[in-house]
Amino acid sequence: MEEKSIISIRKLTKNYGSASVLKGIDLEVQKGEVVAVIGPSGSGKSTMLRCINAMEQLSGGDILLNGESIRQMKKLPRLRQKVGMVFQHFNLFPHMTVLKNVMYAPVTVRGELKPKAEEYAMELLKKVGMYEKRDAYPATLSGGQKQRVAIARALAMKPEVLLFDEPTSALDPEMVGEVLTVMKQLAKTGMTMIVVTHEMGFAREVADKVVFMDEGIVMESGSPQQVFEETENERVKAFLAKML
Amino acid sequence: MSELIHVAVKYRALLLNGARVTLIVSLLTILFGLFFGVLMAFLKMSKVKALRALANIYVEFIRGTPVLVQIFLVYYGLPLMGVEIPSIVVAGFDISRILSGTLALVINTTAYVCEIVRGGIESIDYGQTEGALALGMSPARAMMAIVFPQAMKNILPSLGNEFITIIKTSSQISVIGIADLMYTADTIRGISFKPMEPLIIVALIYFLMTFVISFMLRQAEKRMRKGYAR
Ligand SMILES: Nc1ncnc2c1ncn2[C@@H]1O[C@H](COP(=O)(O)OP(=O)(O)OP(=O)(O)O)[C@@H](O)[C@H]1O
Ligand SMILES: [Mg+2]
Repeated sequence: MEEKSIISIRKLTKNYGSASVLKGIDLEVQKGEVVAVIGPSGSGKSTMLRCINAMEQLSGGDILLNGESIRQMKKLPRLRQKVGMVFQHFNLFPHMTVLKNVMYAPVTVRGELKPKAEEYAMELLKKVGMYEKRDAYPATLSGGQKQRVAIARALAMKPEVLLFDEPTSALDPEMVGEVLTVMKQLAKTGMTMIVVTHEMGFAREVADKVVFMDEGIVMESGSPQQVFEETENERVKAFLAKML
Repeated sequence: MSELIHVAVKYRALLLNGARVTLIVSLLTILFGLFFGVLMAFLKMSKVKALRALANIYVEFIRGTPVLVQIFLVYYGLPLMGVEIPSIVVAGFDISRILSGTLALVINTTAYVCEIVRGGIESIDYGQTEGALALGMSPARAMMAIVFPQAMKNILPSLGNEFITIIKTSSQISVIGIADLMYTADTIRGISFKPMEPLIIVALIYFLMTFVISFMLRQAEKRMRKGYAR
């Protein structure tokens, strides 16, 4: 049975000047799949993620979204509406309230009517447990709260895929749980997610597929069982030994 | 003290006219300096290298030369280039008389406003732009709706200082015969043979103008700060 990939990365390469950061990445992501990307620092995880929503230009190879090459998508904003992103440092807009953060792009970019966008924003804020804080400014929130708002903000655009770049790495340890909980709920609703993470527990428990990257290539990929328990690869083993 | 009041009352018509010229020149300079300064800032942050270089040269040259020299350069340069200033009367005031001086001040202010605006924009974390782009905003919207409003908070205090500097610097256009406040002080000294009184009066009027501006800016800053803390 051939499933159609929602995202299909083909021989993706990325250079910064003479430095080759991605050296031919192949990755298929099915609709509703949760893919955890793990690997040592500097292996190109963020770069790959940023290629998917065209925050970086591809040097070689291609990325298909629903079968359509993102190289062909002249209108980047359209691509980015379909592929949302959650950042390590949240990047909430400090001059807007929580509610405005969530509904600003739907209204201005998608052209949704304000009452409708607001209603949906409130619904999302309830889902991530931030409804009570809807009128607060980001500066008054904890890291965990900020990240939950950032997730609601990304969801407000009704993306088909959500990218996460180390969403819990900037958080105090006691706040990691609340964000991971929200992400787990999201995974259950069938959202397609690509999550770069150092949370091995999350990768093992929630991911359908784990991808281990090292020095710009995918060194190992498979089910959590295959990567965490059955791998023969020494680099993967060494990395996991350090992380666990 | 009574001498001061005596001089102020006696020459009030001259003083009022001088104050009016200084105000008009300063306001025009602020308005156009702001407009071209923002434009220059975007040139300086442009992706096109030639534009960036052009803006750089402009800013460095203006900031590296005395404003007095710039005023004379424009004053003598315009006629040499064949530019004839037509007489434009607005609200009973002939703008052409102040035009070359104001133009020099605008050229000068543009460079300083450019640096203030650029500094303010570049002080905003690139994550803000990324966050906006990732939501599908166009680069223009990301700049105008997300980055610029935040940058304003850093820009406003420096801009206020620049406005105050403009009012003070405008006194230098009196050297090309524009009848501003400073020029008026000279005139009154010439006819009254009193050197100190007109200067003190004029100083007080300058101070009043700059004080009002700094007061208004402080209020504006307060209002912005109330919005959100960082
Ligand atoms: N804009 C850039 N210019 C030049 N080199 C870059 C740039 N961005 C990333 N790199 C380099 O590319 C390599 C991969 O970076 P990347 O951020 O993708 O790694 P990562 O796997 O996300 O690491 P980390 O776990 O530390 O976030 C690094 O060596 C980095 O120095
Ligand atoms: Mg990274």
